[in-house]
Amino acid sequence: MKKIFYIFYKDFSSELRMRFALNALIMFVVVAVSTILFSLGSESVAPNVYAGMFWVVVFFSAMSGLSRVFVSEEERGTTLILSLIANPVTVFLGKFLFNLVLIFFINSVIALLYMFLFQEFLIQNWNSFLLAYVLGNFGISASSTIIAAIISKANVKGTLYPVLAFPVLLPLILMLIEITKSAMEGNPISDVEAELLVLISYDVVMITASILVFDIIWRD
Amino acid sequence: MKNFWKFLLFVLMTIVIIGTFVPPIVQYPKSFFEFPLIPGLEDKARIIFFHVPTAWLTVLAYLLAMFYGIRYLKRKDMYDDIKSVSAAALGFVFCILATVTGSVWAKFTWGSFWHWDPRETSIFILLLIYGAYFALRSALDSEEKRARLSAIYSIIAFLTTPFFIFIMPRLMIGLHPGSLEIDPATGQVRASSNPVIKFEMAANMRVVFFLSLIAFTILFFWFWNLAHRILKLEHVSQKEI
Amino acid sequence: METLYNFLEKNSLYIVLIIVLLVWIGIFSFAYKLDKKVKKLEESIKE
Repeated sequence: MKKIFYIFYKDFSSELRMRFALNALIMFVVVAVSTILFSLGSESVAPNVYAGMFWVVVFFSAMSGLSRVFVSEEERGTTLILSLIANPVTVFLGKFLFNLVLIFFINSVIALLYMFLFQEFLIQNWNSFLLAYVLGNFGISASSTIIAAIISKANVKGTLYPVLAFPVLLPLILMLIEITKSAMEGNPISDVEAELLVLISYDVVMITASILVFDIIWRD
Repeated sequence: MKNFWKFLLFVLMTIVIIGTFVPPIVQYPKSFFEFPLIPGLEDKARIIFFHVPTAWLTVLAYLLAMFYGIRYLKRKDMYDDIKSVSAAALGFVFCILATVTGSVWAKFTWGSFWHWDPRETSIFILLLIYGAYFALRSALDSEEKRARLSAIYSIIAFLTTPFFIFIMPRLMIGLHPGSLEIDPATGQVRASSNPVIKFEMAANMRVVFFLSLIAFTILFFWFWNLAHRILKLEHVSQKEI
Repeated sequence: METLYNFLEKNSLYIVLIIVLLVWIGIFSFAYKLDKKVKKLEESIKE
């Protein structure tokens, strides 16, 4: 249990020291949001378009940032040492935790930017939006960690990552868009009960399956 | 006796091709070789004998690829991986066929090539998964790694399919037979009134349909067998060099 | 193009024909690919 935090802390402190991944990620978000601003001009569009665009930006920033956890180990050649000092489940949970913190941070940045820059992006029902936000981050983090583990062994890491992750993340993104739309329209939380249940089951399935198969990826 | 399957395939496929084109479509079928008329569909109803088997083979191929992938992870036998990848290659071909035949037909029946109805979306996702599977394989050079990681990816990607079964009908209005639609007035789910969705096969159509499914399944296993035998030979000859 | 579309719309049996031909093309191209693989294999064995 302690080792999970050690791995998390190791990644966290090296990230804080270097910070280029984080800075690049924030710049990516700024660029993406400003592109949307430019393309919209002064037009106002329907709430579901905003809900969709919000999660699209989240998806692509996750795709550009979350693959680092295993790729960086592979680049520095520290995979072997890590596999000697900790068992696979611990490694996976440590990396998962790091990705979770990163995605929470990035998503909060994106959400704040959206609220300041788009007047129409108004969440009426905060309960359902926040629930979707938390569950969605868990799901995105779980599937992107396991895909990142697969990708770290491949030759072309950057381009392959979104290709592999998109079909896996699509059900999650669709649900999140649905819930966000409903939250923006101010519908009660009981309206999106089924969607929230799907989100919970997605998270549970993805986390358990990832822990089960990670062992096979990690053992070289 | 070993070649019995091939002759069966030949006979069945011949019957299916004849059964697809020859029976006339009449308002009130009297004899066994007449198909009933479905308003709005007419001759286009005959697509079912060729389109549905390709979609079925796409799914079957995926399941087989995953099954042999898991077996590879258990036994570490390279031939299991060869079987898995040849099933996936064949599945990819049939996936493209199902998509293309469906969209050509949709152009003339529903007005445009693509509608994002639940089944169309799921075949599109399957196409993406197949594409990602081969992209992943081409990016790994060690044989052992390629087999292991692609097997794992097929499992992870398969886990998302149950979600599509639950999600899609809620989000989109179906156009395929058997879909439900959401009543705009009450918000309740109801059986649709569209001619394609209400479509039910007459008994004689059903016979041709199931013969077609059997024929295509035999064709699939034959080609799969050929493909993995060839890949196995290739594997052996590469080892000798 | 317009006339072709109208023709197909009226004679929808030909749409089914197109679909059957497409399936045939797919099966044929797979067989062709297999054949090419066998040829490569034969050459590598000959050497």
